[in-house]
Parts: sequence; structure tokens; C-alpha cells
Amino acid sequence: MTGDRTTFPTDDTFVSTGVIDSGAQPDRGRHAAVPGEPLLTVSDLRVQFTRGGRRINAVNGLSYEMVPGKMMAIIGESGSGKSVSSRALMGLLPGTAKISGSIRFDGRELIGLDEKELRKLRGGDIAMVFQDPARSLNPTMKIGSQITEAVRAHSDLDKKGAHARAVELLRLVRLPAPERRFHEYPHQLSGGMRQRVMIAIALAGEPRLLIADEATTALDVTTQAQIMELLVELRERLGMAVIMISHDLGLAASYAEDVVVMYAGQAVEHAPVRTLFSNVRMPYTRALLGAIPALDREPHSMLPVTPGQPPDLSALPKGCPFRPRCSNATDKCLEHPPFLEHEPDHWWACWNPAGTELDTAPEITAALTPASATEAAHHSEHDRPEDEGVAR
Amino acid sequence: MTTATLPRVPGNRGPRVSPLRRVTGSPALRLVVKRLLMAIPIMLGVTVLTFWVLSLIPGNAAQQLLGAEATPEDIALLEERLGLNESGVSRYLSWLGNAVTGDLGNSLVSGQPVSDVLGERLPVTGELVFLAFFVSLILAVPVALIAAHKPNGVLDRVSMMVSTLGLSVANYVLALLLVLVFAVTLGWLPAIGYVPLSEGLWANLEPMILPSAAIGLPLFCFYARFLRGDLVDQMQQEEYVTTARAKGIGSWQVLLRHAFRNSSFGLITVVGLNLGALIGGTVIVEQIFALPGVGQMLLQAINTRDFVVVQAAVVIFALVAVLANLFVDLMYAVLDPRIRYGSS
Amino acid sequence: MAVADTPLQVAEQPAADQDDAVPGGRRWHGKLGIWLPGGAIALIVAACFLGPALFGLPRPVGGSVLESYLPAGSPGHLLGTDPNGNDILSRLLHGGRASLFIAFTVNVIGLVLGGTLGAVSGYVGGVVDTVIMRILDVLIAFPSLVLTLAVAQALGPSIRNTIFALAFFSIPAVARVARSAVLRLRGQPFMAAAELSGTSAWRMLFKHLAPNIAPQLITFGMLGMGIVIIIEGALSFLGLGIPAPAPSWGNMVADGQLSLSATPMLVVWPSLALLVTVLSFNLLGENLRSRWSGR
Repeated sequence: MTGDRTTFPTDDTFVSTGVIDSGAQPDRGRHAAVPGEPLLTVSDLRVQFTRGGRRINAVNGLSYEMVPGKMMAIIGESGSGKSVSSRALMGLLPGTAKISGSIRFDGRELIGLDEKELRKLRGGDIAMVFQDPARSLNPTMKIGSQITEAVRAHSDLDKKGAHARAVELLRLVRLPAPERRFHEYPHQLSGGMRQRVMIAIALAGEPRLLIADEATTALDVTTQAQIMELLVELRERLGMAVIMISHDLGLAASYAEDVVVMYAGQAVEHAPVRTLFSNVRMPYTRALLGAIPALDREPHSMLPVTPGQPPDLSALPKGCPFRPRCSNATDKCLEHPPFLEHEPDHWWACWNPAGTELDTAPEITAALTPASATEAAHHSEHDRPEDEGVAR
Repeated sequence: MTTATLPRVPGNRGPRVSPLRRVTGSPALRLVVKRLLMAIPIMLGVTVLTFWVLSLIPGNAAQQLLGAEATPEDIALLEERLGLNESGVSRYLSWLGNAVTGDLGNSLVSGQPVSDVLGERLPVTGELVFLAFFVSLILAVPVALIAAHKPNGVLDRVSMMVSTLGLSVANYVLALLLVLVFAVTLGWLPAIGYVPLSEGLWANLEPMILPSAAIGLPLFCFYARFLRGDLVDQMQQEEYVTTARAKGIGSWQVLLRHAFRNSSFGLITVVGLNLGALIGGTVIVEQIFALPGVGQMLLQAINTRDFVVVQAAVVIFALVAVLANLFVDLMYAVLDPRIRYGSS
Repeated sequence: MAVADTPLQVAEQPAADQDDAVPGGRRWHGKLGIWLPGGAIALIVAACFLGPALFGLPRPVGGSVLESYLPAGSPGHLLGTDPNGNDILSRLLHGGRASLFIAFTVNVIGLVLGGTLGAVSGYVGGVVDTVIMRILDVLIAFPSLVLTLAVAQALGPSIRNTIFALAFFSIPAVARVARSAVLRLRGQPFMAAAELSGTSAWRMLFKHLAPNIAPQLITFGMLGMGIVIIIEGALSFLGLGIPAPAPSWGNMVADGQLSLSATPMLVVWPSLALLVTVLSFNLLGENLRSRWSGR
């Protein structure tokens, strides 16, 4: 399922010897969901913001479901709604956002929950790791108290118990010398270590679903691989489901089992990772795949480019949002394509999917250049690249 | 920049260690020393500037003291006795030499040593400023927290409207309106006067209430607005606030433990900057309420062209401003771990 | 060095997304928030400069003692007269003329000189920047009101002296605002692009920097109008601003103070004029800022 994983360096250089592996926790009862039953069902989720008098449709009828214990990737450009939709899941959007549709978690509807219920959920059943660990930790608080705060929000542990639990969590995320680090401040840690602390905070409430929102984007490639390996390992050990949100299709292919591709605030293709790569249907997904530089590509050849602009979320075109940029577009595309399970486990929203008679040669198929893909990543809302290994 | 991934081994701090760093161990101490060193040229600049501006002013103290009837001989004699006929540079240098030892000269009018006069006057101004600060901060923090808890809520809008209004009132206008309402109309508080602390706490505080309110109310509005704005910014724009909310802790806890902790740095800066400006503003309030403070002394000295006293008062005011900024840096060094543990 | 680089008006930070609560509310509120105080200022300016001639008001000085202390609503004296028998409304409007003229001149001088100084300092950087900033540190640490008082007393109160003194001490604050704005801009790609394409330094300053820092300086100027009006009032209040018997809001308050319990309206009218004018400038400045920063 994650065959490509071994191509990444798996050495975790931060692992210190002699760390007692106290983190292994067998099924704790509440993790025993029925296999096959969806843990999370998102249907027709819509999120709208009003900025300066303009209505911005950040999420437009997003639907997907995921089963417990899976690792699923949500892929899209910045502005595709992947981050906003995941924040909607936790009720973390500002009060000015209009949210409609349905989010069912373990059979319970999350939309419309009151603040008290949401608070129990946040950091409890669902936890989140954010993009930029330099900005996501409070610079004026010791990392220890930032973790114990999360621990105590979801348990009855006293101060001493919470301390012990926090150190245990730091050990679980393989932070070297956890007892000492407990008393340090975020700026004294490297980027990778800070992200480990963020993961420790997320694990404090023993979540059943962990959302990693571009959790490795701000890190260098080596650290990125270490953090991803850690997430994979923790998922297996703790039996939680993980949603990784990324603009990096390659990263998703290496670690996820399922991939949801988002465009203009909706899911356009959803399939197990193998199926998606061997049998891509949605022209947009294919454009993304074409933008990944491959070794077998002719040297010095230009990477394919998708014409047009990313969609304007305040003025979406009629019908399929990708129509203006799609080489497969026909008049039919003026009608909105439904997101359906066309083949077993393979969902897409397209009237003229790739692999049908209308499909033209791959070279005509549009694709994003890696340059514009990275640029998109750098323009994403919270992006602040930082040099790894150097504390500020 | 320090490489934090490496364990910190004492004595092994890498090749580039500045001499200053070697002398002073902690980064916080280094900062304070650096700021202290920076304060010296600023104070020198202030004293030079005052001396220069005062020397530009036509007409001198001797003329003023002796009146229009004085003969030029009398004036020259007095000038020599007061040392006014020397060059500006040498007068400045001798003044500076004395000032460093605490001798700020004698008043041209009364002949009293200025440092003695200041000793009587400073406590009055100090009490006034302290009360104004104390009351404004005590009120501003909870108001800002309540306003920021629900931005654009009723409480937020009302408190911000009131504070905008309060910021637009000149302190002399406010002082008179307070007198009009609380002293003239209601007769609750005395309109003017000062009673030393030795005659009882309440006797001392009672006439101080209106003057400190006249200074403190606009200050309260300013702090409340500033803190509220900064808190809302933190709550809406900072990722660590999202992290805190994602932990599932309550909204008040997020506001108090996370946003306020960070906003307090901004507030400290503003308070420090304010203190300097505020001291100058006490002049007019002391005049209205007939408080025998430094401000009133200064105004009298200006009217009698007692430039020795003016010079001393200006230096004191500037010194307080510089010290206030230094105090802010100290607070940063104590409170902000990024400085306490050293990083750029 | 948090303190050294903190611009004086630390409060002037954009408040984020204030009006998102009401859909479309920002526009409505934003426009009203600018037009209302803007209109009030226009009205005050028109009343002060055109009003006395338009309504044929009596002269603000040289009234007859026989007409002193007339109550509001007396024939020919809408707001009544003061102890010298001068028409209060006329004195208010003439006093406003002086306040507005002084505040405007001071701010123009302060913005041009301070803005240039700050922009050059931030743009050139290095030793020049250090020297300029240290000099400004001295000026900021300086109790400017005090020195203004001393100068005014020595040179004799006059409008010109007041303007010079106030303008001089408004320079450091403006310079700091301009400098921090320039420093922020310097990091922007378009600046690097212009620099790489061989644009000259002066052209950079005036073509690229000036238009970008102008909004911030103009907003600061609006807030500065309020500050200068208040300080000018303080000087006049202490008898060191506009020389009596010419009216100013400050010296009207001071004169009224003498008979505060008997005729409080003598203090209330000029106080109200000060309050409304300063409030309008403050509101205009604030709302302009949140509008510009909201983009």
C-alpha cells in the first residue's frame, strides 16, 4: 500500500537510545470501531466567508468518507479549500464563516454542535497538527505547559500526573531528552523538534482522528520524511486515522492509502492511491500528476503547463469549475458533474474523464509546472519557510 | 542565532564570542547593559539641546531679576556673579560636571539649591503619575479582555465608543469638567489643593482623585483600545491561538493564558513610551489643581526666566522618559523567554 | 530591540476583519465612518472660515462691557457674551480658525520634513540611519511641551512661534512612522526588482516609496491634527499660545475657568468645540487607516 515509502530516508536521527517506549497503548475500547463502517462522513460541506463585501465560497459541496485507522490524503492547490474544510471539522473557523452540509463523526453530526461539545471534541477525538511549527506554538510558554494544558483539558490528571503524561508524550514522539525539553521554550528547539511537540500536543487527548494540515511543508526534505515516518508509526501503534492535507501529490503517494483530490472547494477525485495512479480519471488530477518531474522525462524538455488561472472563489464558473482550463471540456461541462462512485472505490466528478474516447493525447493534457506548484505552496495562507535545525 | 539542536555545553559557545558577551553572561543582562550605554548619549543630547535652546532666548535672567530700571553696570555685575558671561560651552561643561554629582545649581530667583526644591516637588508629581497609571491600567486590562472576548459584541462596541470619545478630550478640558461636576455642582471632592501624606492617607488622597482622574481617564481609554486591538489581532491572526483552541480549552483560557500573555508585551511598550510623554502633561494639570509638583515649578520658572530650574526640570523629565524605556527593556528581559534565553 | 523600533503610535495597528460580522457591513460602515467625520470637519472648517462673514457676526474682540454676561439666545448673540461683552459664537469661530490653521501648518511641515527624514533614513540605512535615529531618540526623550513653553514665553506668544515649536517636535514621530513603513517596503519584491533594473535612489524614493507610505503618513497626519489642536489649546490655556485678546479655544477655556461656578457655559462651549473637532479628526484617521490596511 505504501510501497514508495522506502525511497525516503527513514533514519530518525533524533532517536536517542535508552528511550523507554512507554507510548505503546493497545486498543483502549473506544478505538474499537467496526471495520468498514465510516469513521468520518463529510457530505455536501459548504463554507462561505464574507470579505470586504465579497462572498468567498471556500468549500463548495465537499463530500468524502473515511474508515477508522486509515491514512488519507487530501490534495489540492492553495485555495482549494482543503485547509478550510478540515478546520470546519473541528469548529475552528471564525464565527463569521457560514457552514452548511453535514459532517458525521462516528455517527454524530458535528455541524451545529454547541461550543461546549465542540471543545470536548477538539483535541479529544479529533486533533490537528498545523503547518508552521514556529508559529503554531506559543512563543512565551514552556513547551511542557503547552502540552500539559492539552492533557488536562481532556483528563482528570492533577499537575503531577499531567507532567508525567506530557513527558511520556514527548518520548512517544521521539523528542530526545524529554525531561529537559519540557522546561524549554519553542525558540530553543529546531523546526523538526517543534513539529514533534505539536504532534505530542495533538496526541494528548488520545484522538481517533489526527489531521495533519500541511504538517511538513515548512520543514526541509529530510525532516519532512522523519515527521511523516513518525506519523505513520504513531497511526499504526495508536490505531488512529490520519488525514494528511498537502499540496504535494508525491508525498501523498508515498504515505497515504487513500487520496482525495480537491479543486475549487470540492472533491473531484477520490480513490485508493494505487488506483489513482494507475487509472487516473479526472483531467485535473492528471494535470497534477504530469507536473511531477520524472527521471524518465527527456532531459531539458519543458514540463507541461496548465493554461488559465486557479479559480476565483468569489465568482466560480457555471458547471464544472475546472472547465475553463480543461482540454477535455465539452458543452456538457456547463452542467455541474456529480461526484459519484463510477468504479468500485473510485469516485470522480467529470463528464469526460480521461481514458474515454474524447480523451486526447497526454501531451495535450494540461499540467501545472512544478514551479507554479511550489509557488502555490509558498503563497498558501500560513506559509513561512524556515531553516531547519536553527532556532530563532 | 544560536544552534539549539546542539546541547549547550558551558564554555563551548562556538568561535564567535564578543567581548561584551564574555563579560556579561546572560543575554538579558547584556541587553540591559547595552541599553544603559545607549541612554547616556541620549541624556547628553537632551541636556545639550536644552542648554542651546535656552541660550538662544533673548533677554536674560539678570535683566529679569533686576527689572527694567537696572543699569547696564548692575546687570553686568550680576551676570558675572551668576556666571552668565562665560561662553556657552564652558557653562555647559561646568553645569554637567556638577549635575553628575547631583548638584543642579541654585535657583536664580530664590537662591535655593534646585536639588532641594526637586526633593519637595518630585513626590507630588510622582504620586499623581503613579495614581493615574495605576487606576488606568487596573481598569483598562479587564475592559480590554471583556471587549476582546466577543469582538463586535455589544460590550466591545460600547467600550470602544466610550474610549474613542475619551481619547479626544484634552486633559485640561477634562480637568475642568471634572471640577465642574464633582467639586462645583456635587461638592463631593475639593477642587484644588494638596495635603501631604503625613496628614493622613485619605486627607492626602482626596484632593488627588480629580487630578489623577484627569490624567488617568484618557490614559485608560488609550490602554483599553490598544490592548483590545492587540488581543483581537492575536486571536484572529496568530496560529498559536488556533493551536490552543484546537486543544479544546475554553475561550477565556485561550484569551488569558495565550493571547493576553503575548499582548502584554505590546502593552508594556506603550506604557513605557507613555510615561515620558505623560510627565510633560502633568504641567497643565498641576497648574489647574494647584498641586506643588515639578510641573508647577517649571511653569513658574519659565515665567520668571529662572533657567537653572527650567534646565533641571527638563533634565528630570527626560531622565524619567529614558528610564521608563529602560524599564520596558528590563521587563522584556524578565518576561520574554526569547530574550531571556537569547536569540536574535 | 523591541523598543527602539516600535513606532510611536503603537496603537495604530490594523484591527482585523472588524466588520465581517454583518455581510456587506464593512462597506456601509466603512463609507459612513469616513464620510461622517469628514463631513463634520468640512462643516467646522466652513463655519470657522466663512461663518463670521456669512452670518454677519460681531467682531470677536472689542466688545462693550455693557453687554457682558448676556445669556445664550440673546438677540444678536446666539450663544451669549463673555465677561468683556464679546460674542461667544464669534470668538468660537475665530478661535477655531487659529486652531485649524496652526494644526494644518504644523502637520504639513511635520509630514514633509519628518516623512522625508524617516524615508531617507530607512532607505539609506547604515550609519546615516543610526545617526538620524539617535538624534530622533533625543528629541523623543525630550519633554517637548516644556521646551515649547519656554520658547513661547521667551519669544513672546505668537502664532508663528507656536507653529515652529510644534512642528519641530512633531518631526520625530512622523519620521519613525515613515521609517518603519519604508523598512517594511524594502523587503518587498517590487523594490528589489526596481533596484535591479537600475532605478536611481531618488527615483526610488519618490516614485516607488512615497506613494506607498503616503496613506500611512496621511492617516497619521489626521491623528496628528487632533494632537496639535489639543496641544495648541494647552499653550493658549497657559497664556503662551495665541496672544490675548485674540480668541482661541484654549484661552477661552482658561478665561472661563475663572468663573467656572457662576458661568460654566463659558468653559463648556469651547470645550465642546475642541471635543467635536478632535473627535472628528481621530475618527477620520482611524477609519481611513482601517480602510487602507483592510486592503
